[in-house]
Amino acid sequence: MKTIDLQAFLAESRIDRVTLERWIAHRWIVATEDGERIALNEVDAARACLIRDLTDDFGVNEEGVDVVLHLVDQLHGMRRMLAGLRAELDATKPREPRD
Amino acid sequence: MKNPYEVLGVAPTASADEIKKAYRRLARKLHPDLNPGDKAGEERFKEVNTAYQLLGDAEQRRRYDAGEIDESGAERPQQRYYRDYAGSPQGAAYASDAGFADFGDGDDPFADLLRQAARARANRPGRDLHYRMPIPLAEAITGGSRRLTLPGGDTLDVTIPAGVVDGQTLRLRGKGEPGAGKGGPGDALIEIEVLPDPRFTREGDDLVLDLPVSLREAVLGGKVRAATPTGTVEIAIPAGSSSGTRLRLKGMGAPRRGGSRGDEYVRVRIVLPKPPDPELVKFVTDWKAGEQFDPRAETLP
Repeated sequence: MKTIDLQAFLAESRIDRVTLERWIAHRWIVATEDGERIALNEVDAARACLIRDLTDDFGVNEEGVDVVLHLVDQLHGMRRMLAGLRAELDATKPREPRD
Repeated sequence: MKNPYEVLGVAPTASADEIKKAYRRLARKLHPDLNPGDKAGEERFKEVNTAYQLLGDAEQRRRYDAGEIDESGAERPQQRYYRDYAGSPQGAAYASDAGFADFGDGDDPFADLLRQAARARANRPGRDLHYRMPIPLAEAITGGSRRLTLPGGDTLDVTIPAGVVDGQTLRLRGKGEPGAGKGGPGDALIEIEVLPDPRFTREGDDLVLDLPVSLREAVLGGKVRAATPTGTVEIAIPAGSSSGTRLRLKGMGAPRRGGSRGDEYVRVRIVLPKPPDPELVKFVTDWKAGEQFDPRAETLP
C-alpha cells in the first residue's frame, strides 16, 4: 500500500492538519509516527474521506462518527472473515467425479 | 440523465433547506462505505451527488432552472472510497472482530477459521489493560508516585496527581498490551481507590474528626493539636465548648473533582479523668448553679 505525503493526504481528504490530529487522537485514523513525520497510506486517506463525508455532508456529530466507524470496522471484519471462509471452503471442496 | 429534482425526490419549488435534507437522507442511506457490498447502490449514490451538486448550489440551480445548463452539471471528481481499501492487507488495521469474536470460542473447524482470521489482522492495536490501585487518603491529597507490579512481573511507575478522587482513572498512554504491526500499544488504565482514613468519619467530601478535650480545655478554651489527613494543625478550642461542638478547618477535607477540597470538622468530645478526681467530685457537688442548669430543657415538651 502506497504511503502518502502529508500535504497530499490533507489535499485529497480536504481537511486541515488540526482536524487530522484530532481524528488521530480519537483513533479514527491510526497513524505511525515516523520520527517527526506522520506516516499515512491510501487506506487512511480513504478512511478520512469517509469520516469527512459523515461529518460534513451527513451531519453526523463526533459521537455519531465513533459509532458509525465501530460498526463499519465490524462489518469489514465480518467481510474478511467470510472471505476467509469462502477461500477455505473452495480449498476443501471435493473434486467432481469425472465420468 | 434524470431530472435532478426527481433524483432527490423534491418538488421544483423546494427550498434550499429541503433539498439539503433530502440529499442527506439519501446519501446517508446510499453512501458506498455504508454499503460495501452493494455495487448498484453506488450508481444511485453518484446520481444523488450529481443532482445535489446542481441543486445545492444556488447559482447552479438558477442556471439549470433557466435552462442554461443541463442535468449532467459538473461530475464530481472521483472520490476514493474506504470500502475499496478496507479489504486490503493494510485495511486489516481497522477491521474489528467485535461482531463475531465469540464464535471463535469453540473447538470446531469454524472456530479455528475465525481465530486464524483474527490473528491475520496485521495491525491490531494492543488492548488496554485495567488495574485497580488502592491509595491512602493522604496520598490522594498530596499526590505521589508508586510502582505497580503487574501480574507478569513487570513494573509500572505511576505518578499520582495531587487531588485524585475515589474512582478516578489514570491513563498511561502506550503502557497497555503491545500491538501488532502499525497498531501501537494499548493504554494502561488505573482506577484509583482512595482508602478511608480510620481517624476520620467521612461525610461526602468532608471529614469529621472526634477530638478528645479535657474539661479544663472545654471550659476555659485553649490551643490543641488536631490531626488532618496530611499532618497536624494547631486549633483554638473556644471557651465554653460542649461535646459535639464542631470546629471547621476549611479546605482540609477529601479532594473533590475539579481540584478543590472538602472541609474537615473537628468534633469536640469532653473526656473526664478516670477514676473520677475527688476534688472535681467535691466541686461539682458544691456547685450550686450546676444544680439549676438543665441541658435537656429545650428537648422536652
